[in-house]
Amino acid sequence: MDLHSEMIMTEYEAQLPVYQRLEGIVQRTLEQALARNNILVTAVSTRIKTAESLAGKLALKGSKYQSISDLTDILGARVITFYTDDVDHIAALAEQMFEIDWENSVDKRALHQIDSFGYNSLHYICRLPKSIVDDPDCPALNEIRFELQLRTTLQHAWASINHDIGYKTGVEIPRDYLRRINRLAGILEMADDEFSRIRTEITDYRRRVQQLVQNGKLDDVQLDGDTFTSYLQARPFDALNKRIASINQAEIEEVPLIRYLRVFKEYGCKTLGDVHRMKLKYENDAYRLARYQLGNTDLDIISSAVGVQNICIICILATGGGKMGLIRLFDLINGHNNQNEALADITYEQASKLQVEN
Amino acid sequence: MKTEIIENGNQIIAKFAGRLDTPASVQTAEEVKPLLEAANKEIILDCTELEYISSSGLRIFLSVRKEAATHGSKVIVRNINADIRQVFMMTGFVSLFEIQ
Repeated sequence: MDLHSEMIMTEYEAQLPVYQRLEGIVQRTLEQALARNNILVTAVSTRIKTAESLAGKLALKGSKYQSISDLTDILGARVITFYTDDVDHIAALAEQMFEIDWENSVDKRALHQIDSFGYNSLHYICRLPKSIVDDPDCPALNEIRFELQLRTTLQHAWASINHDIGYKTGVEIPRDYLRRINRLAGILEMADDEFSRIRTEITDYRRRVQQLVQNGKLDDVQLDGDTFTSYLQARPFDALNKRIASINQAEIEEVPLIRYLRVFKEYGCKTLGDVHRMKLKYENDAYRLARYQLGNTDLDIISSAVGVQNICIICILATGGGKMGLIRLFDLINGHNNQNEALADITYEQASKLQVEN
Repeated sequence: MKTEIIENGNQIIAKFAGRLDTPASVQTAEEVKPLLEAANKEIILDCTELEYISSSGLRIFLSVRKEAATHGSKVIVRNINADIRQVFMMTGFVSLFEIQ
């Protein structure tokens, strides 16, 4: 190692504690920004270049650097996203949070010719502004540049494998192999775009369903997990639950109702309209059943499932499902077990004392 | 009212005996605290000798279930008698617990 490189190595050793402090701040700042903006990512990671790695870099192109401050990748941060859209979203956040050294930042995605594929990643060279850290005893925290890499999970997989294949052996790779690796980059780019498109379309679909639920056009909405969740968000069983709670001035404990999706499907409901009609048809008798059951007790806590549960019980009995139908109901909402038959017996006995309308 | 806590590998079992009514629930709530601290295990509420449960008792079962849910573990209610089974059904909590 020449004298100039040794000088840079000495600077590196002296500044290592500052880099370590900077690393913690950068990691925290990124994680907090992602959480604030509800962006889920695969990973946020940081690393400080090791002395060995720096020595290797200086051996190759040490004359390019006057001092340690010319090396912008001693501290590196990387955010790996699920979707390509999120790379741009996080880039916009980084532009707001950090001071970007535009001259040295590069969008590798934009460097490709229209007929070439390969490394895709967004590299920003950044500094921390004083709004993030302001320590008069350590102004270097605002002066040191660090590299922020933003890429998708698929881009990361490609880059990691490409690095492993290309640099591991030190042997030059034949053109044919390189071409095959780059062809894969093209395929992964298509997959990334497709994942983003699917996410956008699912979000649009959910929005449309929520709109239909809000507008009461329930017959236009097929019954599935997503649409039933949207329906439940409109809290269709609240009024019945409150009526039932008023029997004993009970509190209502919120519980998930998604298990009833299987029940409604089993009863032949094809759309949210079918579910809603069933609710309207049987909610009065569902209340009468609850009043009969709870009226002679001092139970002052009920679950938010009691309304929909009683609607299903009444529907089974009104349509001639009998005890077997009730056992099936409890199998669906409670999982199959021997206790369900006993539950069905009790329920059948109580409900049979009510005159259930068909 | 008696509550016995037994740890058994990846399970923690609470055996209840007697009437879990409002007066008994204060002491029982204290006695089930080891369940809340071990909520990462499968929790079994053994009701073989439990004769009665009030709303206060249900609230204790719910607190155990909530703690277990935050740790991703499940609560099994075992061997309830006909009256208690009816309470679970009437209040709509039957779908919240695994009842065996």
